[in-house]
Amino acid sequence: MAIIEEPLAIGAGDHAPVVERPLGDLTRPQATEGWKSWLTTVDHKKIGIMYGVIAIVFFVIGGFEALLIRIQLATPNGTFLSPDVYNQVFTMHGVTMIFLVAMPLGAAFANYLLPLQIGARDVAFPRMNALSLWIFLFGGIFINTSWMLGGGADGGWFNYAPNAGVVFSPSHGIDFYALGLQITGIASLVSAINLITTVLNMRPKGMNLMRMPVFTWMNLVVQFLLLFAIPVISVALFELTFDRLFDANFFNPEAGADPLLWQHLFWIFGHPEVYILILPSFGIVSEVIPTFSRKPIFGYSFMVASGITIGFMGWGVWAHHMFVSGIGPISVAAFSLATMFIAVPTGVKILNWLGTIWGGRLRFTTAMMFAVGVISMFTIGGLSGVTHSIAPADTQQTDTYYIVAHFHYVVFGGTLLGFFAGFYFWWPKMFGYMLNERTGKWNFWLQIVGFNVTFGPMHILGLQGMSRRIDTYDSGFGFGFWNLVASIGAFIIAFSVLVFVWNIYASRKQWIADGRPNVGPDPWDARSLEWMTASPTPEHNFDEEIEVESLDEFWHRKYGYDENHNVIRIATSEEVAQDGSATDVHLPSPSYYPIVLALGLPIIAYGLIFSLWLCIPGAALLIWGMVGWIFEHPDDPNAAHDHGHDDHHDDEGDGATAELESGDAAEADTTETDEEPANV
Amino acid sequence: MSSSQNLRRSGLALLTALVLSACASDAELDTRADLAGPEAQQIESFMNVMLWISYVVFAIVMGITLYAWKNFRIRTYDYEEGDWPEQIHGNDKLEYTWTAVPAIVLAIIAVFTVSLHQKLNDQDTNPITVEVAGEAVSWEPQIVVVGHQWWWEFQYHFGDTDIDQERIENLPVADITTATQMVIPKGQEIELEVTSRDVIHSFWIPSLNGKRDAVPGRQSAPWKIEAEEAGVYFGQCTEFCGLSHSRMRMQVVALEPADFQTWVTAQMEPASLSAEDLAYVDSLVAGDSVQAENVVQTGISTFRSKCSSCHLMEGVNDDEWSAEVVAEQLVAGAAPDLTHFASRTTFAGGILNVWDPETGDFNTNHLAQWLRNPESLKANFAKPATDGDNRMRGMPNLGLTTEEVDGLVALLQATSPKPSDTLIAETGVE
Repeated sequence: MAIIEEPLAIGAGDHAPVVERPLGDLTRPQATEGWKSWLTTVDHKKIGIMYGVIAIVFFVIGGFEALLIRIQLATPNGTFLSPDVYNQVFTMHGVTMIFLVAMPLGAAFANYLLPLQIGARDVAFPRMNALSLWIFLFGGIFINTSWMLGGGADGGWFNYAPNAGVVFSPSHGIDFYALGLQITGIASLVSAINLITTVLNMRPKGMNLMRMPVFTWMNLVVQFLLLFAIPVISVALFELTFDRLFDANFFNPEAGADPLLWQHLFWIFGHPEVYILILPSFGIVSEVIPTFSRKPIFGYSFMVASGITIGFMGWGVWAHHMFVSGIGPISVAAFSLATMFIAVPTGVKILNWLGTIWGGRLRFTTAMMFAVGVISMFTIGGLSGVTHSIAPADTQQTDTYYIVAHFHYVVFGGTLLGFFAGFYFWWPKMFGYMLNERTGKWNFWLQIVGFNVTFGPMHILGLQGMSRRIDTYDSGFGFGFWNLVASIGAFIIAFSVLVFVWNIYASRKQWIADGRPNVGPDPWDARSLEWMTASPTPEHNFDEEIEVESLDEFWHRKYGYDENHNVIRIATSEEVAQDGSATDVHLPSPSYYPIVLALGLPIIAYGLIFSLWLCIPGAALLIWGMVGWIFEHPDDPNAAHDHGHDDHHDDEGDGATAELESGDAAEADTTETDEEPANV
Repeated sequence: MSSSQNLRRSGLALLTALVLSACASDAELDTRADLAGPEAQQIESFMNVMLWISYVVFAIVMGITLYAWKNFRIRTYDYEEGDWPEQIHGNDKLEYTWTAVPAIVLAIIAVFTVSLHQKLNDQDTNPITVEVAGEAVSWEPQIVVVGHQWWWEFQYHFGDTDIDQERIENLPVADITTATQMVIPKGQEIELEVTSRDVIHSFWIPSLNGKRDAVPGRQSAPWKIEAEEAGVYFGQCTEFCGLSHSRMRMQVVALEPADFQTWVTAQMEPASLSAEDLAYVDSLVAGDSVQAENVVQTGISTFRSKCSSCHLMEGVNDDEWSAEVVAEQLVAGAAPDLTHFASRTTFAGGILNVWDPETGDFNTNHLAQWLRNPESLKANFAKPATDGDNRMRGMPNLGLTTEEVDGLVALLQATSPKPSDTLIAETGVE
């Protein structure tokens, strides 16, 4: 058990060389367990798990906001929320669900799985990975503190100018929105650069691009989309911030600006954003379905190519959000056609999944059910999308509940159900125990029923003419019945989420009661490399580098074909998989600087809103973080390199033990002489 | 009967109930039923085809999924060793086919889309003759639609044909300015120049045509509506525009051509006050201090002193009111023109009745409450914005006394004769 807790001062062990340290240069932390290890970790798996946990917390917050909306709209002339609060609640619901739930859940899976799926030991820049996590977390907290500091943003997630200007929205809510999303945008950018580099540069021998799992491919596309989309929203948010705080007049029509500028900037980001949200889920479905169909993915190259095509075409459709903005008939026609044809590569994916299922041996595990749920629910969202790519039809539909129905079928029915498939599929790999399948099926059916009862009626409401973002409606409009149905559905969804949370708790409890049985490396008889190591994944991922010879490498090591082309087993999973027992693996050391640097950003943001003086300590932290980062010693002379132990069984109560053991462990673990690790 | 049969039956009953109740809705804003505009009808017939195509595609996807679920499902949790389906990695022919077929179907849809889109954007107005101040004027039916937080203004410029080139601030004073209710002649295509004085709104009468955003600082590409039948068509602002977005509604009243002419003639007049009341206005304009002798006159002096910084009532406060001053003072640019307030049937952004649709009486209660405390009926930002310019939006609480409120109510009722009972009944809101 190598548990290291190093005080900030240098240990005075006589075998350790004394290092001259400049002021402010912290010793690298060494904890690998206990809460402190999570704050300083650079391990992509811990970072991925934290992304997931934080996103689920925000999911509960955003879901609570959704319930408030549905209570308000359940009956005509609702008075549960005031118009002012209602506007804040629906804005924050959208902002939270998109930026603080769907995107980080994608990041959670990408962080955890990309290095594993390509057979790498970590991401290319481990400290930057930690940095993006902390920036995202602090940005998310920052936005939500607006509730306590004068009210949340009230301009809608799309935040159209000039309604978002300080004259029309005098509270600080939109300042929090602009600065908060600026901060989380930095997190996405850092992460995108990191994951692109990882996928392109850290593949082991033989893992060429067309041997990468579809999930990795889709995430690679997503990271490129982020890399190019985030700068656009960053520019827009900078301009908005300067407008609101320093009278810059970027979007002020009184000063001659055209408010459509904001719309273009927002949607040039906002439409690729839709694919940023959906492609990770497509990737998950493309992993789950082959595994539980006992067939390889149908048309791998078409799947990859359609994902890339979507990535490119996603840039050419933004103005379909603006068909009624008055952008001129020719541009409307052009964007209408472009939007129509983006349905083609998306349709290819659906049909290829169906091709995978066809003739397979289908095991309807919870993960499989969620994945098949994505196929059918996303199809509805995709088809309603085609109906409003028809620009004339969109003039009736846009800004009505028909659109609300559409994008919830895409983002909930597509993205979120996909993430739930991912949870059930990779849970044993991440945590070493299975989620209960029986409870999981309750979770699935409640979710799918609640989802359809909530969002299905919104199609009807939209076509009945119910505008979006209205806090109330007259009974004469005839919206009452379906709104009530939708509100009931929202509570069914809430209940299904409770079932999921209960499943996590109860399954773990049962697993502990059963004496923590080992689920084995490959509980589902799966196909890709992440299953080729122990569960939960050891800190060093793989004991030795894997030489890849084909797509679905792990499957091909387990199975082969006889002369009649029938599948025969060559080896068991246990024989093929590495057991994670290597002990001399050198890993990058944890670092304090990512969290220090990240902490500076929200303080600067508070300073911009409330008092510029606050920017000084914020900037000081930021600069300290950067300088310390640059000059941080590659590794502490008395740092531990032994990360090869299985450390996931003792997550609770380690802090105390760690401190007791630290003295001995520090001495015992200082003898290694590995070469310097990557220190970026 | 087995329990699963029971379940199925009650499920079916519930579904039937749901579908029936959906059909039974009498939604005033419905985009698919009882459409009165040729544009809305064309959009609906296209949409109808699209929905059927969607149903078919969805049925195919679900059909394949359910077939697979029924026929390829393994009921045991673990696979039997050696139970493997044929390992198919793909089928190029099939994949090219299912890439090409949707693309071709979409290409066909695209042709129809572009052609309908073009039709909807063609302007094809026919000049009509309107009698303005005793003179016959040829009017290319054009109405300037101006969004304000949170009500709609409609301007009729009978003389000017080039109004679509102008920013709203530069437009000449309109012949008729009204609020909340747009009045049009039936059977005529009306060109709309949609713009805004503050934030982005969206003008939408679902029964007539799709929507068009009202963007401040620019006029939208021209938009049009046409009502084939005389009647009342409801609308709701549909671009989020702040606090009272949900309470920003509008109506289009389509009239027979003769009725439209009557309406124009009446609107061109100043407020229809009695001779004594007009004389009272004259003495106030002259600067004489005269005592109000009736409740309307109390209203006149109150209106002149307390309402003139925002509202115009021709014949009552023309001298006190100035469009330039109003534009400077208000973010919203102007408050509704009240010259013919009583000729309209709704106020406060179309959420309250001017005339009670059931009794036909003047809706004194709501109007008085609105004057006493607007916030109690509709959320407003009727306080100075924080940028220090003291600019206000929405209807403020002016702290009026009971006498002042009564006077204003009486004045507002006196502005026009009561509209027809049919109109009052048809336009009534909750």
